[in-house]
Amino acid sequence: MSHLPSTTWQMLSRPPEDKRLPSGLDAAWDAAVGLVGRSIPRRRRYLREAAGVVAMEKQFTEISDRKLTDRVGELRDLFRRGRQKRPDVLTAFAVVREIAARQLGQRPFLVQIAGGLALYDGCVVEMATGEGKTLTATMPATLAAWRGLGCHVVTVNDYLAKRDAEWNSAIYRFAGLTAAAIAQDTPPPLRREAYHADITYCTNKEVTADFLRDRLALGRLKGLPSALLAHIAEGAGRGTDRLVQRGLEYAIVDEADSVLIDESVTPLIISGDAPNAEQVTAFRQSVELSLQLEPDRDYRANPRYREVDLTSAGKDRLEELAEPLGGLWRGQRRREELVIQALTARCFYLRDKQYVVQDGKVVIVDEFTGRLMPDREWREGLHQAVQAKELVEVLPPKDTYARISFQRFFRSYRKLSGMTGTAAEAIREFWQIFHLPVVVIPTNKPCIRKKLADRVFATESAKWTAVVAEIRRIHEQGQPVLVGTRSVRASEHLSEKLSAVGLSHQVLNAVRHAEEAQIVAEAGQPGRITVATNMAGRGTDIKLGRDVAQAGGLNVIATERHEAGRIDRQLYGRSARQGDPGVAQAIVSLEDELLMRHAPHLSASLRKRFGKTDREVSSAPTRKLFDLAQRRAERQALRQRKGVLKTDDWLDEYLGFAGHEG
Amino acid sequence: MPVDRPTFSESWYRVGELRPRVLSTVQIHRQHFRGQAWHVLADPASNQFFRLNEAAYRFVALLDGRRTVADVWKVCNEQLGDDAPTQPEAIQLLGQLYTSNLLAAELPPDAQGLFSRYRKRVTREVQSYLMNIMFARIPLLDPDNFLDHWVGVFGWVFSWLGAAVWLALLSVGLYFLIGKFESLLSQAQNTFQTLTLANNLLPMYIATVVTKVLHEFGHAFACKKFGKQTGSGGEVHVMGIMFLIFTPLPYVDASSSWAFRSKWHRAVVGLAGMYVELAVAAIAAIVWAQTGEASVIHSIAFYVVFIAGVSTVLFNANPLLRYDGYYILSDLLEMPNLWQRSRQYLYYLVKRYAWGVRRPTNPAHTAGECVWLTLYGIASSIYRVVVCLAIMWFFAQRLEGPLFVLGVFLTITSLIAWIFVPIGQFARYLFTSGELMRVRGRAMLTTLLAVGGAIAAIGVIRMTDHGRAEALVVAAREQDIEVRTEGFVSSDPGKGAPSGTRVQAGQPLVVCRNPQLEAERDRLTAALTEAREKLTADMASLDPHEAASVPVDRGNIAAIKDDLDIVQSQLAGLTVIAPLAGDWVSPNRDRMFGVYVTRGQPLGKVIDRSQLILSVWVPQSEAWLIAEAEPVVEFRVRGRPDLNGGRPMTGHIAEVRPAGTNELPSAALGFAGGGDIPVSTSDREGRQATEQLFEVRVAPDGPFPDLQPGEVVVVRFAGRSRPLAMQWWRTILQTVQKKFHI
Repeated sequence: MSHLPSTTWQMLSRPPEDKRLPSGLDAAWDAAVGLVGRSIPRRRRYLREAAGVVAMEKQFTEISDRKLTDRVGELRDLFRRGRQKRPDVLTAFAVVREIAARQLGQRPFLVQIAGGLALYDGCVVEMATGEGKTLTATMPATLAAWRGLGCHVVTVNDYLAKRDAEWNSAIYRFAGLTAAAIAQDTPPPLRREAYHADITYCTNKEVTADFLRDRLALGRLKGLPSALLAHIAEGAGRGTDRLVQRGLEYAIVDEADSVLIDESVTPLIISGDAPNAEQVTAFRQSVELSLQLEPDRDYRANPRYREVDLTSAGKDRLEELAEPLGGLWRGQRRREELVIQALTARCFYLRDKQYVVQDGKVVIVDEFTGRLMPDREWREGLHQAVQAKELVEVLPPKDTYARISFQRFFRSYRKLSGMTGTAAEAIREFWQIFHLPVVVIPTNKPCIRKKLADRVFATESAKWTAVVAEIRRIHEQGQPVLVGTRSVRASEHLSEKLSAVGLSHQVLNAVRHAEEAQIVAEAGQPGRITVATNMAGRGTDIKLGRDVAQAGGLNVIATERHEAGRIDRQLYGRSARQGDPGVAQAIVSLEDELLMRHAPHLSASLRKRFGKTDREVSSAPTRKLFDLAQRRAERQALRQRKGVLKTDDWLDEYLGFAGHEG
Repeated sequence: MPVDRPTFSESWYRVGELRPRVLSTVQIHRQHFRGQAWHVLADPASNQFFRLNEAAYRFVALLDGRRTVADVWKVCNEQLGDDAPTQPEAIQLLGQLYTSNLLAAELPPDAQGLFSRYRKRVTREVQSYLMNIMFARIPLLDPDNFLDHWVGVFGWVFSWLGAAVWLALLSVGLYFLIGKFESLLSQAQNTFQTLTLANNLLPMYIATVVTKVLHEFGHAFACKKFGKQTGSGGEVHVMGIMFLIFTPLPYVDASSSWAFRSKWHRAVVGLAGMYVELAVAAIAAIVWAQTGEASVIHSIAFYVVFIAGVSTVLFNANPLLRYDGYYILSDLLEMPNLWQRSRQYLYYLVKRYAWGVRRPTNPAHTAGECVWLTLYGIASSIYRVVVCLAIMWFFAQRLEGPLFVLGVFLTITSLIAWIFVPIGQFARYLFTSGELMRVRGRAMLTTLLAVGGAIAAIGVIRMTDHGRAEALVVAAREQDIEVRTEGFVSSDPGKGAPSGTRVQAGQPLVVCRNPQLEAERDRLTAALTEAREKLTADMASLDPHEAASVPVDRGNIAAIKDDLDIVQSQLAGLTVIAPLAGDWVSPNRDRMFGVYVTRGQPLGKVIDRSQLILSVWVPQSEAWLIAEAEPVVEFRVRGRPDLNGGRPMTGHIAEVRPAGTNELPSAALGFAGGGDIPVSTSDREGRQATEQLFEVRVAPDGPFPDLQPGEVVVVRFAGRSRPLAMQWWRTILQTVQKKFHI
């Protein structure tokens, strides 16, 4: 009889704690604690401690590799037993720093050590891009791995996971640890091996999916006793033996804001095909029916909430139209639901904005990042409605086997920390949902980016004219320009305009993603014009070409403000890295979607006042309007994300008979 | 999604493949409410009830532990079409059944969840105890066995035969009560005199407990009987003590009657308490009528009659309070949970019409319910607020010394429980509810407007400040009549006026005789005649000596005349005449015939009732009124608001007497005489007020024929106008000050 691996044993015997969102007075208390916790000046403390670590440099630079290895052994035993005190942690940082210097030739800077300490303490660390977050993470990862319970370093894509794992493996090897990476195509046995390594580099998607698959494998075995019983009863090869993970102990999440906030409510779903011919026909019919309804008379569209309502006239008309179809169309509720979905797909889901069509398939474009999300689907039949609208093959909704949101998944780690370029705006959310304090670490060299005030125009066309003029002006000075657009559609639009005036440029968007890294890397060459959806090529440095720094560095133009201030800042952050010069500016219009959705009344009155003028209407109040709309959007998003979490909690409480999730 | 009931749910995968079933111990009862069929799931072990509509029941009934939830859902959809529960609804339904511990899944029970639910329930119960500390319930006994044993003996009470006997009993009781109605009233008055009330409290409380125990057993036996008869439930497992405003009283939990199919059975269980109580009252009435005034049994019987009568009318039968009447009403209307749903319906109306919430859930199942829900919601809310305020006010007013501290404590806890907590909850709802996400601005605005309006009404808009004081009606003009010349009162009844008659000015009231004076008059008259004759003779005489005495004669005559005048006027004084027109009141008139009366002795009064005046006695605490009162006041006769066609009579302030006094002009104004002014308990006459009083005299405008001297009227002064909030604040301050003597 085979034994149960100790890692599985550990995982099952320590079920994740119940981390519900507090409610009522508890929530108020928690928010108060958060307010106090946030205002503790952590940054100075970490910088002071980091200075202490730097001061230990001399102790280790002199000693031989062998001595250093001995030292590592001592520390490792200490951490394994959980007896480490704060001075030991600092010493360990100094040791890892020395290892990094010897193995990679990179000695972490003071700010990187400070960031590492904050990560070790379970904070979200804000470090500007290009400050060496990869190296920063090695120090807390090593310390956590010494604990012997595993450590996940969560990156944004497979490439980075693989690169970082290889890059840093020398450090880990010296520290007596193994590191491995998991990519989409890693087969299960290797996955298991990788998860059982001391440090696992993986993407959020893979780690979450593996977690779900493990849970499916466990089935209804909820705790250690039932798993052991099943093991005895059913023998090897079932249930527990198919597990790949070893429990969720500690994770360092790179791009924490995008993973833990922007994508946090998108659920990861393990699903299977469920052919349903009847439904497919129904979706096609619903699109046909929806085309026969007239706006305002039969239905009303609400852009702010992206909702469509049928009027009573529309309901009557629909009943009439659906009469001959029979079947599912006889029931009023189902009928209206289907048509409303079709109408929603038509009114608010636009090709090249919310999705693109590739190889006869509808692929979602992430509205925040502009990235393609090929394995994501809209919910509740919306995806099928869009497919039917585009006249591509309608694939029936898949059967869900297991499902969890990233938010919920990452909350079940015993200890969590994150790094990102922009966290300060989300301090509240990091605390309320993940109980993570945010520490802002200064840059190694002071940042000399010039952030110019927003330029506001009354109409969209005036805005684009101004954008083109500005690009031309900068281009003529020989500086490179990076233009950020919000949608594929906008980037194509701008590209046409630039071509019309004869400015050669590169377009980088979700549809043309093959050459992504190369285009981004070259965006810093003199005179280069790059039009990109905002997040294209995130994670790749834009290196400045020769003489560009003297000419004033990279210019970034944002053509729209985003629903979150963080995303704006990320775009601006593409310029002026590592002490280089750079300029950033937003050129926006009163007709932008942000205003239309989140400040409809105020922006409408301003539009009315300025009329169709092509003039620039920048002024303190118009600029403030954008900030206001952004704040409202952020608030609404936070509320929505908290709502999702609360619904999950409710489900857990009420569906206890179906077993617990998360 | 802007769809009312989306068909699919993302969480469906969690339940789809499960094969749950309703626990085998759960009993299902079919009931009809307003033409709709409902099913009540009852778990006799935990006394949990769960009401399902037809479609939901179909879904639940198909779950047999063999079919999967997904299969059942599909079957339901095929059979019921649009009415079938959607996936989110099915999930919610399963979740609710599960958290009510009515659902069994094939998974091993989640012990941790079970315990955490249990803990939650206990916390909630404790909270509701603290919130309703004035109405707390403490379960003590399980009477089920006892009832099972005795239901055979007592069950017949709730049959047609029992009803006939009951009717007979009630008729006899009523017969006796009506026969001795007057003595019933006077006994009631005696009992509730402030001075004797304290002595009566204990026997009265004992009578209450006895009556209520029987009342509760009425519920219990009725529930048991119908449960046995229909074979569904009827378990009564909890009996205990409930605190009704700190008065411990028995209670019984007969809620298993909710599972009865017939609404009449349910209503009879609700009625059973009062039914028994009235029977007890009828027996007590007979006993009361047949026993002597002084006996203990007599007075206890009286209390029983009184309590059964009053509590039945005020509490049990009143559907606005959540006692028997409420449950009977909700059964007869076929609207279970009337109270909660009426409240929800009012919220629904606000949400829908004032706030414009999209698609709020309507708690009314049928159109006919809306009217009832609205009416009941408004009536019960107002009633509840009024009762709460009245109770608080009663405590603040009537509890003395250390007990007053208790009253303050009670008032504060009630304020927290009934006002601050609901306001807090409401505010939280307003700020955080997802339902209001889109209309929060409007919701806040309308709420602010409503609250602002209310605050303006009580805090800003000035209202005339009114004060009340009691006054004695006295005649404006009256004259004390006394003896002016001593003498014997004439024994002829025809002379003078009898007491109580109306006399004109100048009319003789009492006629006396004084023989001594008459003799003196006769003597003086004779002397005068003699002196005049002498003068005539002397003047006629030529005798110079006699002629010389003429002046002397003249002097004599004058002197005699003077004496005679005095006597004459004294004699005139023997007839006492009325100095003014009015009523002649002389209590001792009949005993005076032939009696010798001395000068200055009082005889009676002549009272001019055509002009009355109100003598208002204002206690010091209300003295601010005198300073600022409008000259015109309104008044009504105490206890007779119907006089003057129901309108208040008016008058104006004629005079404010400067000095204060403690002496009441009439006991009728003091506490002891049923008045408003506290009097010293050591004063047997009840005229010694505990605080200084000031007299204000008010002249009524115009003749009010109904007004009689000696009556007590309530005078309403109109002071300066100031906001209601300030007026209330002053009253509260005064109350506190009075109690603590600060």
